[in-house]
Amino acid sequence: MRDVIVVGGGLAGLVAALRLRRAGLHTTLVHMGRGGLQLGQGTIDVLGYRPSLVAHPLTELGEFCALEERRGGPTHPYNLLGVEPVRVGVGFLRELVGEAMAGDIETNVLLPTALGGLRPTTLYPASMAAGTVSLDPSDPGALHDGSRVVVVGIEQLKDFSCQLVAQNLATIELPGGGRLETRSASVSFPGRGTEADSNAVAIARALDRPERRRDFVAALGRLARRGETIAVPNVLGLTDETFTAIADGLGRPVFEIPLPPPGVAGMRLTDRLTDLARAYRVEMILGSRVIGAETGLGRIRSLRLGTAGHETDLEARYVLLAPGGFESGAIELDSYGRLHEPALGLPLAVPDAELLNDSWAGEQPIFRTGVATDCTMRVVEPATGEPVHENLYAAGGFLAGAQRWDEKSGEGIALASAVRAADSIIEQLKES
Amino acid sequence: MSTTAAERGLQNDGQPSESFSVWNHLKKASPRLNNNPNSYEAQQLNRLSLDQCVKCTICETQCPVTRVTEMFAGPKFVGPQAERFRNGESVDHTLDYCSSCGICTLNCPQGVKIAELNSMARAVMKQGHMPLRDRLITQTSLEGRVLTPVAPLANWALQRKPLRVAVEKVIGVHRDAPMPVAQSQSIRGWLRHREGPMARRPGQPDRGPVVFFTGCAGTYFEVETSKKTIEVLEHLGYTVIVPRQGCCGLASQSNGLFDQARSSVVKLAGDLAKGGRHVPVVTSSGSCAGMVKHEAREIMGVEDRTVTDIGARMRETSEFLLALADAGELPTDFERIEMTIPYHAPCQLKGQGMGMPAIRLMELVPGITVVESGENCCGIAGTYGLKKEKYEVAQAVGRPLFDKFKESGAELGACDTETCRWQIRAGTGMDIVHPIHVIHAAYGLSDIHSPQV
Repeated sequence: MRDVIVVGGGLAGLVAALRLRRAGLHTTLVHMGRGGLQLGQGTIDVLGYRPSLVAHPLTELGEFCALEERRGGPTHPYNLLGVEPVRVGVGFLRELVGEAMAGDIETNVLLPTALGGLRPTTLYPASMAAGTVSLDPSDPGALHDGSRVVVVGIEQLKDFSCQLVAQNLATIELPGGGRLETRSASVSFPGRGTEADSNAVAIARALDRPERRRDFVAALGRLARRGETIAVPNVLGLTDETFTAIADGLGRPVFEIPLPPPGVAGMRLTDRLTDLARAYRVEMILGSRVIGAETGLGRIRSLRLGTAGHETDLEARYVLLAPGGFESGAIELDSYGRLHEPALGLPLAVPDAELLNDSWAGEQPIFRTGVATDCTMRVVEPATGEPVHENLYAAGGFLAGAQRWDEKSGEGIALASAVRAADSIIEQLKES
Repeated sequence: MSTTAAERGLQNDGQPSESFSVWNHLKKASPRLNNNPNSYEAQQLNRLSLDQCVKCTICETQCPVTRVTEMFAGPKFVGPQAERFRNGESVDHTLDYCSSCGICTLNCPQGVKIAELNSMARAVMKQGHMPLRDRLITQTSLEGRVLTPVAPLANWALQRKPLRVAVEKVIGVHRDAPMPVAQSQSIRGWLRHREGPMARRPGQPDRGPVVFFTGCAGTYFEVETSKKTIEVLEHLGYTVIVPRQGCCGLASQSNGLFDQARSSVVKLAGDLAKGGRHVPVVTSSGSCAGMVKHEAREIMGVEDRTVTDIGARMRETSEFLLALADAGELPTDFERIEMTIPYHAPCQLKGQGMGMPAIRLMELVPGITVVESGENCCGIAGTYGLKKEKYEVAQAVGRPLFDKFKESGAELGACDTETCRWQIRAGTGMDIVHPIHVIHAAYGLSDIHSPQV
C-alpha cells in the first residue's frame, strides 16, 4: 500500500512529496495540471508586509502573529507554525535547489517589478541578485543611491514596457536614501522565426540556444554604457546555465525582472522540483481530479480519482492535501454565496465578517477561507478543533487564515506547512 | 466535467432532442452553425469549460508544437481565446498545425478542454475540403488488410525512395515519414495457427477471462506486442478472449472525419462486448484505449451505452498489471535483467490521467532502471507526423526525445503506443518495444532481445 498520497503539484505539494520520499516513504503525487508555482515570480516570499514593509521576516513574525491574533477569524498558518518551521521549510528548499536560489532567510530585499515598483521578497533566483535593493543598513545592496540601470525591453515582448519600468523606478526613494538613475532601451529579438509577438517562454527557449544567445549578448553589449547595470525581463533561458553564459558574456551586472504569467523563473523552479521528484521516484499522476474518498473508522482509506473512462481508488496510509486555494479551484463559492471544498467536502474555516467588499485592490476576507489545522497540519473541524480524519493533513494555499498576496507570505507558508505536514506524517509512521 | 443527459438535450435513445431551446436560439443567432458537423459539441460540453480559462498560458508553455514552430499560434490562442470569436467558423487557420496531442488539456490546472475544443474546431474548418490524403491515411485497418498478404513486397516498396517521392507528390505523405513494418501474419492468423494458449504458471489457479483489444496496429503491424500481451496474461492465469474486432476510429477523429470515427468506435465497442459482460478489457494500444475511454465522448459527443461500458472496463496493459501488483496479486519472481531502459509515455496515454504505470511495472524486474524521457510528445501524434507539410515540425518536436534516448547509450527503449514507437525507431535507430516485451522476458517467456515487431 502507498504510504502517502500528496494532492497538488505546486510548491507545497512538490516539496512535501520530496520530503516524504526522501524519508523512504512510498509517495504518490496526484495533480490536476501544472502547479501554480509556474505562474509566480520564482521568488520565495516569507513575509513582505505586516502591513508595513518587513525587513527581517523571522524577527518580525511574532509581531505579525500578534496582530493576526487580535484580528480574530480563521487562525493564520504562521500563528500555528511559528518561526522554526519556516526556517526548516525554506532550508529544505535550499537543500533541494542549491545555488539556484540566493538570499538570506533573515533579511528581505526589494526587487524591481514589471511596473517599475519595488517589492519585498526573501529568496530570489541567482539571476535577480544584481537587481536587489537592500533593507539592511549594514549592507549596501546591489542597487543603491546613484546606481545606474539601463532597462532593456524586447520589441516582440508586449508584456514588458522598458520606458514604464525605467521611469517609475527612477521616482522611488530608496530605503537607504537616494534614487536610482535609469534609462530605457530596446532590442529586437523574436522568439520563433520572425514573429512579431513573442511570449517570454519562446524567447527563453531561443536564448537556451548558444547561437541565438550570442546575438542577444552582442546587442545588449552594444547598448550598455560604462558603469551601467542591465535590467532585462525574465527571459534569460529555461536552464540556469543560460543566465550564467549571458552574464559571463556581458562581463557586467545583469538581472531579470519578473513578468506576468507564464513566469520563466517559476517554470525553472517547477521543472527543477519536478525533475527531482521524478529522479527520487515519487509516483506522479498528472491530469486526474480527486473526486472523493472512502473513509471509515476516522480515517481516509482511499482517494478516488476521476481517471479517463473509470474511477481509480488509491489506497494510502496518509493523505496530504496541497491543492491551492480559490485561484486553483480547490475552494468554491456558489451562486448562493456558500463556500465549498469540492473534492472531499471538508469543513471550511470562514471569516465572520462580510466576505466580499467593494474595494478594488484592498483586502477581501473571503480569501482567508480555507481548511483549519492543528499545529501538526492535521485537518481539524474549525469549531471544535477535533481531527476530521486521523490521517489527513494539509498545506499551502489550501490553509485558512492568510491573505497571501497582500502579506507576501505565499511561499513561506507553503514551505513551512508542507515540511511540517510531511514531518508529522513521517513521525506518525515511525511510531506505528 | 459531467453533464446529465437531460442537460445535453438528449432523450433516452441518445438522439438530440428537437426542443433543446438554447441550441435553437444559437442556430437562429448564428446561421453558420446550421452547417456545423459538430452540432452536439458546438453547443456545449467543452465550450462550458471555456469560462474556466484564466489565461494563465500554462498550456502555451507546454505545447510541443508551439515550442518548435511559429506556424502554430498556440493552444490558448487558437483555443479558449479564438473559440469566443468562431461563431461557427474558424478565425485562426494555424489551428491546422495543432497535433491533437492533448498536452494542453493535461497540463491545464483549471480543467479547460483545450485540445478537445481545438479538435472540434478543426473538424469544422476542414469540412468541405478534406484532403484525399487525410481520408486515406485514416483507413488503418484497411491498410493492414491490404499489406499483410503481401508483406515482403510492401516492406520492399516502402523502402523505395522513388516510390515514396511519388506518394508524397500524389498523396501528401512525407517521403521520410516513419512507416510500420508489414507482417506476413496478423494476430488473427497467429491465434488461428498456434498450438493453443500459453501454459499457466505452475500452480496458478484460473483467474477467469479477459478481453484483449488488439488495435489496428496491434493486429497487423506490431503483432509481437499483441502476442506477448496475450502470452503474459495467459501465463498469469487469464483466459484471453480476442473477439473479431475493427478500428477504434482514432485516426479519423484526429483528422476531423467524425462521422466515420463515430461509427467505428460504436462498432468496435459492440465487437468487444461480445467477449462477455463485466469482463475486463485489456489493450496494449495506449492511444486507442484513450479513444474508447474518453475521446469519443469528449471530442465527438458519442453517447453510446456500450462505448461507455467498454471504456469503463478498459485498461492499458501496464495499468492492468500494476493494479494487480498493488493488490498483491502479481507474481514478481522475475528473472534479473541488467538494463537501463529509456522510456517515453505517449501524450495520449498521459492524457488518460493514470500516471505512468509502466515505470513502476518495469522496475519490479530486478536489475531494471527506467529513465523517463520527461518530454511531452514524440511528435508523430498518430498521423500528424506523416503529412508532408508537418513532417519537419513532428521531427523537431521529437528531436530532444531522440537525443535523450540516443545519449542514454541503451540498446532498447520502451514506449506504450505503436505510432510513437515507429517515430522513435526512425528517429533513433534503436529497438523500441512496448513495456510488455520486458515483462514477457522477465517471466522467462522470451529473450529480452527477441524481435520487437
